Amino acid sequence: MNDLFGRRAIVSGAARGIGLAIASRLVDGGARVALADINAEGARAAASRLGNGCIGVGCDVRSTAHVQAAVDAAVEAFGGLDVLVNNAGIEIAKPITELTDEEFSRLLDINVTGTFRFTKAVVPAMAASGGGAIVNVASVAGTAGGPLLSAYCASKGAVVRFTESAAIELRQAGIRVNAVCPGIVQTDMADRLAAPIEAIAPIPFDELINLKQGRFGTPDEVAETVAFLASDDARFVNGSHYLIDGGLTANLF
Amino acid sequence: MTNATTPRSNTAIDSDSLAGKVAVITGAARGIGYAVAQAYAAHGARVVVSDIDESAAATAAQNLPDATSYRCDVRDEHSIAEVFERTLDQHDKVDVVVANAGIATTAPLLDMSFDTWRTMMSINLDGVFLTLQHGARAMIASQTAGSIITMASVTALAGVPLVGHYAAAKAGVVSLTKTAALELRQAGIRVNAILPGFADTELVSANRDNYSAALGVDFDAVINQAQGGYVTVDDVARLALFLAGDRSRFSTGGAFVVDGGLTASLF
Repeated sequence: MNDLFGRRAIVSGAARGIGLAIASRLVDGGARVALADINAEGARAAASRLGNGCIGVGCDVRSTAHVQAAVDAAVEAFGGLDVLVNNAGIEIAKPITELTDEEFSRLLDINVTGTFRFTKAVVPAMAASGGGAIVNVASVAGTAGGPLLSAYCASKGAVVRFTESAAIELRQAGIRVNAVCPGIVQTDMADRLAAPIEAIAPIPFDELINLKQGRFGTPDEVAETVAFLASDDARFVNGSHYLIDGGLTANLF
Repeated sequence: MTNATTPRSNTAIDSDSLAGKVAVITGAARGIGYAVAQAYAAHGARVVVSDIDESAAATAAQNLPDATSYRCDVRDEHSIAEVFERTLDQHDKVDVVVANAGIATTAPLLDMSFDTWRTMMSINLDGVFLTLQHGARAMIASQTAGSIITMASVTALAGVPLVGHYAAAKAGVVSLTKTAALELRQAGIRVNAILPGFADTELVSANRDNYSAALGVDFDAVINQAQGGYVTVDDVARLALFLAGDRSRFSTGGAFVVDGGLTASLF
């Protein structure tokens, strides 16, 4: 597989989970990847495991300066940038009546504004080399609401709409922008959601997932669709959000 | 730029490989269907080219390695059933079905004859239902965890003057795809829709002047502004390859748009 041969990429939230699976798949496709993560040590350790010239950089996506520094580090290490994957994100599972302003704003700052900051920061480097591809990790939560997940769903819905706007705005620069919408994927985040969701669901969490989407998704499965969208195979795909959800959102109930 | 008809990998692993897979494609003699057939054949599939134009189907199959062709009129259930029966006889299984056959005509709703409406539905919606149903039955009969791809359109997502019948049929295809995905999941069969924007095919070019007249603007100019050019059949084939194979194994019931940004934009 060399669908991303020679590509220079940056992935946020890449120290573990879906972000790490994405970085790993991009490397398998021939890319050099800058792994950005708020856990700088984890990012560097993952980068050295992946090899192929990958670098790890500490980056809190709430900081414009951090994001710019991460992009600068990638451009300096690789001589340019072709692919950005906005993956960093958090979740909160709480009733609206218990959510604080600070919690809601913090989540939007990371999931939405972080995506904006990185997108803005990579445009000059991508435009300089004639274009690139941006893939935003949204969620099925960007296509429908869910109890306890109001902040998360609001943020992922915003990511989908931001993706569409950026796709149109950056088309002239040769930059494609798309999103992926994973269903429930076997990650730490899904583990954390199990108890609160189970508390309000009529059946155990695992059974709920099996009923709605057949099984849990895997980080590798998300990474494969991200790789497709980042590659020339998707050269006319722009402003779209691709589902990887085992049929979850095809259900009316 | 590599072409979907040639395996791009220079390593031993082709993760898009369809080696040993049997793929039935309706409307495969030309246009998008033929591009999909080429991509599948290039990645090792045994392709069954089905088309209402028997000689064009035969010619298409001759140009592909390990391909066969059958005449198929998707309005006729017996015709579709026969394609799958003969495919099972020859190959013992069906791994991939692409319900692609379709027509495009133009008429304002005020003047559209019921016959025009019915013809559209019989091919573009009834035909997809029958292909999906018989294809899934063939997969289940041969105990194959397959992938079914329906060829819808971005016209399923918004209003388009002159193609109310076509758009309604395509919206029906997207809906059908979702229900099929749920009903067939237990059998291990995935069902996804591809929604291309306006492509550089006969289906679009034959109606270009009508679109221009209805919109009051040159249609090519509209497409350049809204899509950044026409979708190529190869662009669609690449997505069809992704959805056919193992790379998309957790995607089912999805609507996969390839339109250069057309439907992402508010205006």
